[in-house]
Amino acid sequence: MQRLIGLLEKRSAVILLIGLVIAFSGTDSATFATGSNFQNIARQVSLDAPMVFGQAIVLIAGGIDISVGATMAMSAALAIGLQPYGTFTAVCGALGFGLLLGLANGLLVTRGRIVPFVATLGTMSLVNGLLLTYTSQRSLVGSDDAFAWWGGGQIGPLPVPMLVVLVLLGGLWVFLERTRQGRNLYAIGGSNDAAFLGGVSVEKGLLVAFILSGMLSAVSGILVAARLDSASVQLGGDAPLMSISAALIGGASLLGGKGSIVAAFFGVLALGVLNNGMNLLGVPTYTQIAVRALILIAIVAVDALANGLRRRNLTASRIAE
Amino acid sequence: MTNTTVKSGDRPGFRQALLGYRADARVLRWLAPLRNHTALVLLIVLLIVGSLSSGVFLTPRNLLNILWAVSILGIVALGQTLLLLTCRFDMSVAAVVGFSGIVTVLAQINGLDLYASIVVGLGAGALVGLCNGLIVLATGANPFLITLGTNLLIYSISLSLTRSKTLYATAPGFNELGRGQLFGFLHYSVVLFILLAVVLQFVLSRTIFGRTIFVVGLNEVAGRLSGLRIQSTKLAAFVLCSTLAALAGIVMTSRINSTVANAGFGMEFDSIIAAVLGGTSLFGGRGGMLRTIVGVVVLGVMNNLLILLNVPIEAQQIAKGAVFLLVVWADSALRRN
Repeated sequence: MQRLIGLLEKRSAVILLIGLVIAFSGTDSATFATGSNFQNIARQVSLDAPMVFGQAIVLIAGGIDISVGATMAMSAALAIGLQPYGTFTAVCGALGFGLLLGLANGLLVTRGRIVPFVATLGTMSLVNGLLLTYTSQRSLVGSDDAFAWWGGGQIGPLPVPMLVVLVLLGGLWVFLERTRQGRNLYAIGGSNDAAFLGGVSVEKGLLVAFILSGMLSAVSGILVAARLDSASVQLGGDAPLMSISAALIGGASLLGGKGSIVAAFFGVLALGVLNNGMNLLGVPTYTQIAVRALILIAIVAVDALANGLRRRNLTASRIAE
Repeated sequence: MTNTTVKSGDRPGFRQALLGYRADARVLRWLAPLRNHTALVLLIVLLIVGSLSSGVFLTPRNLLNILWAVSILGIVALGQTLLLLTCRFDMSVAAVVGFSGIVTVLAQINGLDLYASIVVGLGAGALVGLCNGLIVLATGANPFLITLGTNLLIYSISLSLTRSKTLYATAPGFNELGRGQLFGFLHYSVVLFILLAVVLQFVLSRTIFGRTIFVVGLNEVAGRLSGLRIQSTKLAAFVLCSTLAALAGIVMTSRINSTVANAGFGMEFDSIIAAVLGGTSLFGGRGGMLRTIVGVVVLGVMNNLLILLNVPIEAQQIAKGAVFLLVVWADSALRRN
């Protein structure tokens, strides 16, 4: 039983992904299992993936970031809205905004001692207000074709945004697995106090995690803006839920200290395949929303049960000693 | 106002931080109620600013309108306060506000009379609360994320029930609940809001159930060891919170005699802001219903003023977020000391 739960936890994303692909290929192979459809999925998934990476990093460090969707939407608006000053400036502005917001989140959590989800809920509301003010609730339309290439272009069979995501994936994997700061994040998420006693700067770690999350959300925003060649206030509404679901499916835990960037990637792939499959099968929108909600509830509940089990085992083994 | 658990005046660190020096005891005694009732002070300041900056602000008509406007959010915030006291949240109230209205109207369309349809609507809300509570209690999962999930789930059910259209109420007299006035000037919804707050405050401070709510928020283990019924109290808090949200949804539906799935959009956030603004802690065990009345009214006055001063509607969202962060920051600073 325990090994089963362990396996489910570690490999749930891959298992889910394979299961979904087989199921959809079985029911609707003519449209689902085609090269162009897989390209579609890859393009769609690559827009969400950076944000999910950010969420996974924050979750690993024991936090949570509700503001990812708002940051993504605001960055998209900036990437389009600042284009009159040059595309490079626009992209830098969007990334800068992500950095600033991540910094604000990090400071609220470390210096302000506000619980992460409350702090980021607050900044989410704030950024939504900024976005409404900045766009005046209108859609912004891009003017630079070179910029749109980053969302819609293709190199060989691979969509450009997917290439961006793969580069990010490699970089973040190295950061989390091979650098001291990356390993420190796991230590901080596993136990704040133990990490502190072990000489790890908890404040710095959390700041790094939130800044990365803000900037990666901004990358998502830039890619979305490039793909749509426009930005609107409607973007990113379901992003907090989606990113948390994907990261949790990818083996991260709300208690922190667990998860990996590669697994998070498989998590977002699984959700992307699910969405694509449901669309192809003509599942009504509200059923799709319900499915997404049920996935979140189930994955959060399973995470909590697994954590409870682990705690009980720990207590039992301590008593045995 | 009853702040039953934490005595003010015994937080030397905050006192120093606030004033920058060790103040005279007399000054502090004078300042203590100010700090303890930030929202009340804020309300008075807003009223003064409002009366100075706008001619129509301080008219009885405008003030009554503010109360009428916030009474629905107020009813939601009362339920949210109850859960906050146990150190939990309900993010599904937004969907429940829409859902209960839809269920009520559907019951009327299917031939139920006024009272039966309202009972069905309230029951639908209670059921959602029961689901929330059971999932959270059975798994020990984070209530924030679980209710965020049920919020989406209920919303999708509302969408499928209405086929994304607006539904119109059919029962005669239903409109009276939302638009009717007591003595010709006080709306029923305002009366309902205040009455509920008073009753719930009485329950909180004078019944075993109410006291147990505080214990859950302060120290669950101690409560369990003293033989209090912790689990059922938590479950009841979830059910009550959702039922109050359902009541708010029904009042809202009767006000405009129609309903849509996203009728309660943003209310999960606003209700938490209102409760925390009033002085209910996000960390459980501190706060009360009368405080939430003040918090809700402050939000209402703030919105009203921003509209009267022609501030664009978008900027109001920024103000709300900033106020929320400030209040939460103050709350956690207070808790640390």
